Amino acid sequence: MDTLIPLIAGLPLAGFVITAAIGRRLGRRAWWIPVLAVGASWAIAMVVVATALTGGFAEGSYTVRLWEWIPAGDFHVEAAFVVDNLTAVLLIVVTTIGLLVHVYSIGYMAHDPAGYWRFFAYLNLFMFSMLLLVLGDSWLTVFVAWELVGLCSYLLIGFWFRKNTAALASKKAFLVNRVGDVGFALGIMAIWVNTGTLNIQESIHVLTSETLVAFPIPVWVIALLVFAGAMGKSAQFPLHVWLPDAMEGPTPVSALIHAATMVNAGVYLVARANPIFASAPEAMVVVAGIGIFTAILAASIAMTQTDIKRVLAYSTLSQLGYMFAALGVGAWTAAIFHLMTHGFFKGLLFLGSGSVIHAVHEEQDMRKMGGLAKKIPHTYWTMLIGAVAISGIPPLAGFFSKDEILGEAYKLGFAWVWAIGVVVAIMTAFYMFRLIGLTFWGESRVDKAVEPNVHESPRVMTVPLWLLAIPSLLLGLVLAWPGPPLGSLLGLEGPGLLAGWLEPVYEHGLEILGRHEAEFAIFGIDGVLILVSIAVAVGGMLAAWRLFGVEIGSLRRRAEPAQVKSLSARVPFLYRASLNKWWFDDLNHLVFIVIGGRVAAFAWWFDAKVVDGIVNGIGAVTRRSGGGLARVQTGHVQNYALGIAVGLIVMAGSYLMIAGR
Amino acid sequence: MADSLDAYLVLAGALFAIGTFGFLARRNAISMLMSIELMLNAVNLAIVAFGSFIPELKADGSVIALMVMAVAAAEATVGLAIVIAIYRNRKTPLVDEYDAMRR
Repeated sequence: MDTLIPLIAGLPLAGFVITAAIGRRLGRRAWWIPVLAVGASWAIAMVVVATALTGGFAEGSYTVRLWEWIPAGDFHVEAAFVVDNLTAVLLIVVTTIGLLVHVYSIGYMAHDPAGYWRFFAYLNLFMFSMLLLVLGDSWLTVFVAWELVGLCSYLLIGFWFRKNTAALASKKAFLVNRVGDVGFALGIMAIWVNTGTLNIQESIHVLTSETLVAFPIPVWVIALLVFAGAMGKSAQFPLHVWLPDAMEGPTPVSALIHAATMVNAGVYLVARANPIFASAPEAMVVVAGIGIFTAILAASIAMTQTDIKRVLAYSTLSQLGYMFAALGVGAWTAAIFHLMTHGFFKGLLFLGSGSVIHAVHEEQDMRKMGGLAKKIPHTYWTMLIGAVAISGIPPLAGFFSKDEILGEAYKLGFAWVWAIGVVVAIMTAFYMFRLIGLTFWGESRVDKAVEPNVHESPRVMTVPLWLLAIPSLLLGLVLAWPGPPLGSLLGLEGPGLLAGWLEPVYEHGLEILGRHEAEFAIFGIDGVLILVSIAVAVGGMLAAWRLFGVEIGSLRRRAEPAQVKSLSARVPFLYRASLNKWWFDDLNHLVFIVIGGRVAAFAWWFDAKVVDGIVNGIGAVTRRSGGGLARVQTGHVQNYALGIAVGLIVMAGSYLMIAGR
Repeated sequence: MADSLDAYLVLAGALFAIGTFGFLARRNAISMLMSIELMLNAVNLAIVAFGSFIPELKADGSVIALMVMAVAAAEATVGLAIVIAIYRNRKTPLVDEYDAMRR
């Protein structure tokens, strides 16, 4: 284990270094070192994960101490990796999807031979950073990894940096992330001030234990600061604006970084720090509120976007909002459950959209697609699976995780989160089937010039799609088994596979919250909640079918664009709001570019005129008065002598007068 | 009158005043140096007078007077050397034309 765990992160790093050094010379063969490195990393990770999840580690976690990183007085930071069950679960997601995306990229990036090696080098660097993030033992390590994934995100969004929009989008992502990172950095400093250690487990232990002395910084402040970092990376309102623009990057990047792994870092962070949040219930309400608000905001935007990748981007935002809502209500297992399932089906959907974009020659506008189902069957079927999964139709993966979030929210007393979540669930099913309908069903609206050349992607791309489709189909069932809801229907007992794995991680947090496992009753409230979940998912799906058509076997219905138009005309404000993303980009433009620009201009004026004016004024006054006084200096010896004489007389005279009195 | 300290001091004061006036009023550098000598000698006179009229001073007055003479000689040497050097440069002995410090 002592060598295996560092190798998980070390191999992609080695892959990055080698590819960066000699990749240019390898040209089209540049893929094999990075893919091999990630493949080996995946294999090792699976061994480690299997050991961890089967209880192979005596204390529930295994720490590999590498060296003392910063020994400075009482400020000690160790470079160490730690694997516990939460890390293991994240390792499954990161390495599996990472490997599949690497393989997919071999085909997807084939028409960009010049950037081939650069792309794979960046991807490997990202894999290293992300693995470092989940393996890190101290807040500082996590922060370094946090910044590294941000850097990779920046590099990969701006991969086609000659395109102006891509360069701007990468800059936007970087800047918006910095806002959150400031919060995270402050949070880490606050943790050190309070506890004097940066080790995650130790500091959490100190922060959440009953102490007689009050902490200099209240725990809820730390919780909110850490959450600010999570908001930036996981693109939660109001820092959500960078993620949709991040779709300017190549599609495999969108799948890996901006859907399946990096944006989950915030969820991971909050889940990792769960006892801190548990000791600050106010902060948890904020988390839940922001999460569910982001969910409904993004879902409402996703319903009208026409760019296939943007729909998926807003969908990602919305699903991340779900996860934060789950974290906020205290359903931490549900959040990680959704993180896993979402990672797989959203990675699948993104890779599928990449395949679609490939097929219609780099066209991303869904209004110029349609009727593609027959021409690209592999992409169609896998994406359909992904869409059903995310919509929450049982027994696919999304149903279990989403239902668990909604059910837990309701049962833990957050009925408002549940209510909004149900609305979001309708919207999710609606926009996903709108996407499928516009892309794959109905008549073709593809350019006449491109039409005959529409082709299915090579096998190197379709195989990863199918490999992702399998977990999208089954992962929910597997991870929930033998717990609720299906297990109890069949008379089986148990918390479910994932819940069992994560129990030790959350034990401390749940203890602080004072919560006990609620009884699961399939024929009571839980059954009703499940039925509601299924009903709204089906409802959203049917609504989308009615408007945008359906063609599955004998199930056929034509799209009705006229009805779509009349419907959107009936709620013009909502329609325009959704289409314009609730004007958040315009708001940011107004606040930061226009008003911020004015403030900056005023500050510049103030600096140039007032601050510099004072300094220059002092100089000018000195120079002028010096010039005036210089006239006293005649340069004539006798004038000076007269001065001396007069002075002497005055001094002697005054002495005599005083002494003579 | 000859054994009165006041008479010596009045003479010394008069000589000093003449010297001061000469130093301030004359424009010729040589004359100014001569005025300085006059002032020094006025002071010397006063010191010697004090020395002879006040017994507690013993020979101190004479010693100080000798010191002043030595310093005056040195000063005169340096002063004249400077005046000659400036004269070679500016071709004039008049001090109000020595205004290089002003420039």
